[in-house]
Amino acid sequence: MPPEPDDLKRLGERIDEAKRQRREQTASPPTPFGIALRFGTEMIAALAVGGGLGWGIDWALGHWAGVQSRPWGMVVFVVLGAAAGIRNVMRAATEINASQASKEK
Amino acid sequence: MAMNPMEQFEIHRIGPAVHLFGYDVSFTNQSLFMCIVVGAVTLFFAMAVSRTKLVPGRMQSMAEISYEFVANMIRSTAGDDGLAFFPFVFSIFFFVLFSNFLGLIPFAFTVTSQIIVTFALTALVMLTVVLVGFAKHGIGFLKLFVPKAPLLLLILLVPIEIISFLTRLVSLSVRLFANMLAGHTMLAVFAGFVVALGAAGWLAPVAIGPMLMIVFIGALEMLVAFLQAYVFAVLTCIYLNEALHLHGEHH
Repeated sequence: MPPEPDDLKRLGERIDEAKRQRREQTASPPTPFGIALRFGTEMIAALAVGGGLGWGIDWALGHWAGVQSRPWGMVVFVVLGAAAGIRNVMRAATEINASQASKEK
Repeated sequence: MAMNPMEQFEIHRIGPAVHLFGYDVSFTNQSLFMCIVVGAVTLFFAMAVSRTKLVPGRMQSMAEISYEFVANMIRSTAGDDGLAFFPFVFSIFFFVLFSNFLGLIPFAFTVTSQIIVTFALTALVMLTVVLVGFAKHGIGFLKLFVPKAPLLLLILLVPIEIISFLTRLVSLSVRLFANMLAGHTMLAVFAGFVVALGAAGWLAPVAIGPMLMIVFIGALEMLVAFLQAYVFAVLTCIYLNEALHLHGEHH
C-alpha cells in the first residue's frame, strides 16, 4: 500500500504555498522617499521634454521654414509638457496604489 | 585625500588618444570599468553554472535565485509572452546592478553615475519598445498615443501622450543617474568632513560624527544600488508590456 500519492499532493500544496509567499515578498515596497523622487522626476522630465520639444520646433521653423514662431512653440509645449507631467504623476500614483492594494489583500 | 567630492566622476583617458570621425573615442576609466562590470557578470555566471548539480551549491543557487527573480518580475509585469525578452531584461538588470555595486567599492568608478551611460541604456530600452510595438501591432501601435476621448480633445491629448512617452527617456535615465550621483557625492562630502576635522587639532574627536554617517549612508547606498537596478528593470518590463499588449490589458 504505497502512501506516495497523498504525500506528494501535500508536498505540492506546500511548495505552491511557499512559492506564493515568496512572490509576495519579492514585490518590493516603495519607500515614501522613493515615491516622492519618482513623482519629482516624472514632473520635471515632462517639463524638460516639453520645453525642449517646443524650443526645437521654434528653431526648426526659424531655420528651415523661415518662420519666426519664437517663443510661441516653446510656450505651447511647456504647457503641454506640464499636462503630460501631471498625467505621468497620476499614472505613477495609480500604479503605486494598485501595488499597495494588492499587497494588503 | 581629494577634497573635491565631484572628482570621483571625472573621466580620464587611459592609453593613447584615439579619434574617429572627429569624436574622441579613447579608452577611458569609464570604458575600463564597463569592461570590468561585464567581465564580473560573466565570471559570476560562468562560475555559478560551470559545475551544475541537481542539488545546487552556493554559487549555483545564487544564479538560480537571480533567474527566478527576474523571471517572476517579467511574468508579473509583462505576462508570460514577456518572457521572450528575458535575456534583454536580465542583461540590463545585471549590468546596472553590478555597476552600482562595483561603484561602491572604494576607488572604483561608478559607470551608472554618468548620464550618457544611463541615457544610452534607456534609449536602447525605448528603441526596443518601439520596434517591438511596430513589429507586433504594425501601424496600430500608434493607438498607444490615442486615448479614448472626443475628437476635439484628441488635438490636445495626442501631443500630451507623445510628450508623456518621450518623457520616459528622460525620467528613466535621470532617476538612475541622479541616485548614483547623489549617493556618491554625499559619501565623498562626509569623507571630506572626516579628513578636515581630523586635521583640526582639538576638534579631531568630532570627526567620529561624519564617520558614523558614512557607515549609515554606505548601508543606504547598498539598498539604493539594488533598488535602482530593480526599478530600472521593472520599468523596462512595464514599457515592454505596453508595447506587447497596448493599453487595457493588465497582468
